[in-house]
Amino acid sequence: MAIVKMNKISIIGLDGVKSSLIKELMDLGVMEITSLDYRLHDKDWIGYTERDGNENDILKYDSKLSKLNLVLESLDKYDKTKKPMFAVRKSISKNEFESVLQNEHVINNKVEDILRLNSSLSDLSSQENKIELNKISLKPWVDYKIPLNLNETKFTSILTGVIPNMVNISKLQEDIENKTNKYFIDVIGSDSDQYYLSIICLKNEKDDVYEILKQYSFNAVIFKELQGTASENILNFENELSEIAEKKSKIEEEISACINHKSEIQYLYDYTIMERDKSKILRNILKTSKTFYINGWIPEKCKTNVENVLKVNECWYEIVEPEQDEQYPILLNNNSYTQPFESITELYSLPSSSNIDPTAIMAPFYFMFFGLMLADVGYGLIMSLACFLVLRKFKIEGTMQKMTKMFFWCGLSTAFWGAMFGSWFGDAIPAAANLFFNSDFTIKPLWLNPMTEPMTVLIFSFIFGIVHLFVGMGISAYMLVRDGKPLAAITDIGFWYGFIIGIALWLFGNSILPGSTPIGKWMTIIFALGLVLTQGREKKGIINKLVSGVLSLYNITSYLSDILSYSRLLALGLASGVVSSVLSILGTMGGDGIFGAILFTIVMIVGHTFNFAINALGSFVHAARLQYVEFFGKFYEGGGEYFNPLMKKTKYIKIIREEN
Amino acid sequence: MNILTDGNFLAIMGASVATLAGIGSAIGVGIAGQAASGVVAEDPKKFGSTLILQALPGTQGIYGLLVAFIILNKIGLLGGAMATLTAAQGGFIFAASLPVGIVGLISAIHQGKVAASGIMLISKRPEEIAKAMVYAAMVETYAVLALLASFLMVNGITI
Repeated sequence: MAIVKMNKISIIGLDGVKSSLIKELMDLGVMEITSLDYRLHDKDWIGYTERDGNENDILKYDSKLSKLNLVLESLDKYDKTKKPMFAVRKSISKNEFESVLQNEHVINNKVEDILRLNSSLSDLSSQENKIELNKISLKPWVDYKIPLNLNETKFTSILTGVIPNMVNISKLQEDIENKTNKYFIDVIGSDSDQYYLSIICLKNEKDDVYEILKQYSFNAVIFKELQGTASENILNFENELSEIAEKKSKIEEEISACINHKSEIQYLYDYTIMERDKSKILRNILKTSKTFYINGWIPEKCKTNVENVLKVNECWYEIVEPEQDEQYPILLNNNSYTQPFESITELYSLPSSSNIDPTAIMAPFYFMFFGLMLADVGYGLIMSLACFLVLRKFKIEGTMQKMTKMFFWCGLSTAFWGAMFGSWFGDAIPAAANLFFNSDFTIKPLWLNPMTEPMTVLIFSFIFGIVHLFVGMGISAYMLVRDGKPLAAITDIGFWYGFIIGIALWLFGNSILPGSTPIGKWMTIIFALGLVLTQGREKKGIINKLVSGVLSLYNITSYLSDILSYSRLLALGLASGVVSSVLSILGTMGGDGIFGAILFTIVMIVGHTFNFAINALGSFVHAARLQYVEFFGKFYEGGGEYFNPLMKKTKYIKIIREEN
Repeated sequence: MNILTDGNFLAIMGASVATLAGIGSAIGVGIAGQAASGVVAEDPKKFGSTLILQALPGTQGIYGLLVAFIILNKIGLLGGAMATLTAAQGGFIFAASLPVGIVGLISAIHQGKVAASGIMLISKRPEEIAKAMVYAAMVETYAVLALLASFLMVNGITI
């Protein structure tokens, strides 16, 4: 329905105009340039043509982009200004953009500067880590008074090392004493794993002492290149650390001083993206020695715009409609009410070009089901208000914008159903009135209270479900008729309509319309016969036809489970409603004093925030599920490719065309 | 008096059994949370989307609480004066609590597994979060049906 009609376009032009043509097409942003790789193997084309584009250019741009990204990230870290909640592209004029980029080399220098600062910053950090580690390893030796580089005197050897702390030190001393009494052992420190020891002994007895120590798993510790005592060294390290910290903060200051160049760097980033995309698209273009050849898709209504560009650049071109059954890229087009719901369709899958865009038909059902499941005036109004403010304040784009708009509408639906069911933050208002003012004020539901009349709501849920399913089947019938199979539409869809309505009347008819039971009975029998006779028509032989026909009646179970699935409309509505009333009971437990009022406020705010969050999520997911599984299951086939035109896919800025 | 023939005991037992669905939710949310931490370790920006998926198996616990609350409200335990139930009435309420208690417990565990694999899915393809959510919601359907069954039964029992 609302899939934009695409036309195929082929362009041949002279090399001289190629770059200006690509630039202008990018400005227009309405043409998808498709790959021509298949031509490269075409006998008639081989020899004349080759693929355009230069991989090295793309690589160059990509590495520049990652550099710029790094710089922007580091600037973000030091940017103290408050960041907006949503990233929004800044609109600037083309002139402004170009004037900033005239100083490209200045910006490039700045970028290199910041990169240099960053790398020296990380060098300093790794130095810092190293010193920090050394300092930690020296910490246990802080009470060791002998200089660390001194490991022998004229007659003695000095050993330092660790042993596990399960070792009995006095036993060790005993063992050494058995060999010699000319030794000195000192436990300098200990921690949960080991003792830190220094041992002094005579030089000629060193090997004996060492032998014993080894039996106690002694591990020698050697302090490389360290002069002076441990405490002196630690002091040195601390000095070095503070020096490094000073240097670091200086560099950080220098980086933060560059923050006012951030927007220029962002411009450069976006400029580089555009250049990258231009050279990337060349890969989809074929060239001969003097000409180039482009294939692509344009929306039919943009034909004249593209034609104008092509005429200015003196290119030969041909625009044709797609062939029957040829798949083309998908662009959806809906009016402003249903367009936000495109996000639901897109999350499933875009329609293939032979299918139809279900958005417009699905939107009212999604709108209604979401509201039924959340069903609270307070929640709905808050949701709509929040979305409205976000849309007002931030110029968000794309899926984000569609989603926000969609939740704005869903909020209204939620408020509507909340009023129908009499739920205003659950029953918080009557509960508060009752507690603090002793009034028996109640808010009457406009329709009914689902807590006291669940069966009615359940039946209506099923009716909504049947309508939803029938609409889905109707679309399937429409597509059959469109494809020239009106008979199949009658037998495959029409008979099922009759069969399902018949069963419903037969079983429940009397409670709605007295006397309709026999009608239902006969409808069921007639349409069941019809299905038996027609559903096996593709099989060979009478018996096979009949067997398939009878088996097709078994599909009623799938229709039944589809319909029962809509009971979630009631169940999820109850879930949010009952939790709300639990909150009211909890909140009023504190009585009507000051304490009670505080408790009531806290329980209401925390509880309703939680209840809203969990149930809004549930409503979003389950309303989508009813579309995806039950509704789309009846007619929809996805698998369409996004229309991906050559355009300015910038991240930070939006270049607006000047009005002359 | 034998406690098993005490209607009030059976009814409160029913409320307790319904709340057991929370065990399943705890396990399910736990499974999904473990997967989520792994993904967020790689890419902290995915916290929001993984949190949504982690929350999905949590609803069974709420359904259980909901039925428990309806039962307690029905027998007047919350208002202060508890009604005296016959053994049959208490038994009915107990029986009515079984669907949401049992189905909730088991479905939440499985939903947690689906949510965990959904979190893996969005670690590779963040744009497919809706599909991951729908897969998890497919499991939840049966908890919803059980909730409905329990609710209708409790609602239908006259005291």
